[in-house]
Amino acid sequence: MSLRLDELRKHYAATRAVDGVSLELHDRETLALLGPSGCGKTTLLRLMAGLEPPDAGRLALDGSDITRLPPQRRRFGMVFQDYALFPHLDVAHNVAFGLVELGWSRDAQRRRVGELLTLVGLAGFERRRVQQLSGGQQQRVALARALAPRPEVLLLDEPLSNLDQTLRETLKDELRGLLSSLPVRAVYVTHDQSEAFAIAGRVAIMRAGRIIQLGGREEVLERPRSAWSARFLGHRNLYREEALAAVPGAPRGAAALLRADLTSLLPASADGEPPQGGAVTRATVRRARREGLRWQLALSLPEWSLDVAWEGYARELLGSTPREGSEMRLVVPDGAWLALEGA
Amino acid sequence: MRASWLSTLLGVAASLFLAAFFLLPLAVILWRSLGDTAALTRVASNPFYWQRLGFTAGQALLSTVLTVALGLPGALLFARYAFPGKRALTAAFTIPFVMPTVVAGIGFLALLGPRGLLGVNLRDTLLLVLIAHVFYNYAIVVRVVGSFLEGAAPRLLEAASTLGANAWRATLRVSVPLARPALMAAATLVFLFCFTSFGVILILAPTPRLATLEVEIYQLTAHLLELGQAAVLAVAQLLVVGAVTLLYTRLQAGMALALPARAVSLPRPRGGARAVLGLNLLIAGALILSPLVALAVQALQGPGGHVPSLENLRLAASPSRVIGFAPLGLALRNSLLFATVSSALALLVGFAFAYAVARGRWRVLDQLSLLPLATSPVTLGFGYLLTFPLLVAHPWGIPLAHALIAFPFVARALLPALRGLDPAHGAAAATLGAGPWHTLWRVELPQLGPALLTAASFAFAVSMGEFGATLLLVRPRYATLPIAIYDRLGRPGAQHYGAAMALALVLMVVTGAVMMLLQRRGRSEF
Repeated sequence: MSLRLDELRKHYAATRAVDGVSLELHDRETLALLGPSGCGKTTLLRLMAGLEPPDAGRLALDGSDITRLPPQRRRFGMVFQDYALFPHLDVAHNVAFGLVELGWSRDAQRRRVGELLTLVGLAGFERRRVQQLSGGQQQRVALARALAPRPEVLLLDEPLSNLDQTLRETLKDELRGLLSSLPVRAVYVTHDQSEAFAIAGRVAIMRAGRIIQLGGREEVLERPRSAWSARFLGHRNLYREEALAAVPGAPRGAAALLRADLTSLLPASADGEPPQGGAVTRATVRRARREGLRWQLALSLPEWSLDVAWEGYARELLGSTPREGSEMRLVVPDGAWLALEGA
Repeated sequence: MRASWLSTLLGVAASLFLAAFFLLPLAVILWRSLGDTAALTRVASNPFYWQRLGFTAGQALLSTVLTVALGLPGALLFARYAFPGKRALTAAFTIPFVMPTVVAGIGFLALLGPRGLLGVNLRDTLLLVLIAHVFYNYAIVVRVVGSFLEGAAPRLLEAASTLGANAWRATLRVSVPLARPALMAAATLVFLFCFTSFGVILILAPTPRLATLEVEIYQLTAHLLELGQAAVLAVAQLLVVGAVTLLYTRLQAGMALALPARAVSLPRPRGGARAVLGLNLLIAGALILSPLVALAVQALQGPGGHVPSLENLRLAASPSRVIGFAPLGLALRNSLLFATVSSALALLVGFAFAYAVARGRWRVLDQLSLLPLATSPVTLGFGYLLTFPLLVAHPWGIPLAHALIAFPFVARALLPALRGLDPAHGAAAATLGAGPWHTLWRVELPQLGPALLTAASFAFAVSMGEFGATLLLVRPRYATLPIAIYDRLGRPGAQHYGAAMALALVLMVVTGAVMMLLQRRGRSEF
């Protein structure tokens, strides 16, 4: 039982908004479509919803072709980026909108609306006008409205992007809890990787209309396939092959990534053998800066003629306060190197 | 933001102008009607006038219902679908709105009058009046409702479709309830225009049976010299119009819903929607274009019936043997002169007003800007006659009245543009050392270009076509094109009829050309 996308394409004039996307969404899972703005992720979502017809390709739900099915007959719930709440209706009527289309009785509608408003923490808000709600509340109403008719698939288009930072953090946690507790499959479009990895079990990275990597969230985060995804995901230590000539244990390939999160620091004075299956090299602090509670260090590795960006908490610095010119040693386990495709 | 001395100055200037040339004449009419108890009782006890009031309201209501019935489907479909030629059609639909009353009247006469192309004479029938009113106001409904929905509805309709509503259900459950405040506002506006209908009636149905209050006021003033009774009728009309205007501003405030506006590409219509849209556009297109085409055909028809011939234009241009008939050249010169002067005046006052409302503490004035729109031209002209008797010998009353009639259009075109200016620009200019005056010149005015052009084109068109006030204030030497047309229409004979057609064609072409030259994409707050 799944939603299958088969070589979906959508072109606008000169842009290939969606350029041959295939993927499968399984029961009860949440999949994130992660990519920078303009990568085609929203268009892909609109193709799934049926709001745009694809130029080519097929969409199948649980085995039956729905490529040409209009949105109103797909039973896909959608949470829009700007929520698109009906301004002429109150909260309860917004949530009940889809139930009316399904021909539910008034009683059943009222029960379901109450159920959903409780679920999203807005019990008692039935008669409020939607314009009177805060951004976060509107977002919850939009979610309740999309969930009310028990959709086959829930589509969320950057649902948190219009909210401020603190609210976003709270709602992110709530959304994760909700989506994992409900028997619903969901596609979550976002450009914010922290949202994608917090909410989804699987993540698809999109670039220029294509999915360039798709996998479980740990896998995608820890093993980016290309230099572009690595950079997009916030990895900072990316090197061309030429730069790694003096580095023992560096992988061969067009480019490589050093996962600084797997490295650790030792005081310069510390003696001893390198840990098993790794290397130790001298490191000079070129710049040290605190961002909040975390230290951001720019390190030079003279033996390897390499610059490395490193970050971590104070305890990982073993009690010393790093400053420009401090000498240390960097422990690089074998698994910290990753070969990448392309530049 | 602090109100600057500039906004205060402009606010005072605009208020003084409105007080002197708008409120004062109305006050004089009121004073006159209250002071003349004899006239008051004569009007109140005359069942004819009550009948006129009933007829005026009844035909306005009927016109409104018909206009909405045709305009609403058009507006809904316009806001919902994209189709080839949509922009050209949108422009075409505003033609009637800016076409002089006299041109529309003559157009329908050319189509359905005693010498009409269709061979059916509907002159002096209510039907023809209603058709003309729908012609005039269809664009108001489509534009007010259409542009209101266009910003928001596509997103909401998408949401509705993901919730299981098909096109008809979504229209019923989302578009129509959403459009209600805009529709009511548009309907109120249409009612206002039809309630004070003057030129259309005078040209298409010059029979006492179909006279509106506005026509009665004119007859009493110009032909019967019963100024007391005219004042009473004018006050009665003002009361109705004032109440409806108040309703309109209330409804317009209701349109300020926080709708999420975001550009969405509209789909092409399919199936049933396509048929309805096509039919609607066909009817509206025929309604709008046929009188204008008929007018052009009859204007260019020679004595033998062959087209094209310049005989009618020659007749219109030659000095007439009838005393007081303005030839084409003189009428055109007068029209262009008055239009230029009055547009400049309307722009000055309108800008001062809009600036004061948008920038200063003149919110109260905002409501006032619609009043001249609601006050009928004949009432205004009548008020000028009572208040400034000297104007009778001078041409100045005409551009003053035109400027005031154009003022609400100008103010409403400039207000949203001024409000839309980023206040941060003003603040930035201030931190860079510019006072309000320099900010206006160097930052704000350059950004208002398109809105100023739109406003100017409206003012120009209003003045070119103005009929009611001009008819009361005019002297033969200052006759404008509409007056010259009406004068000839009042005389029997094919020659006068042909000359009227030719003059109307000139008026149509000049107005259309000016609008096309000046009109830019801009929105006014109607």
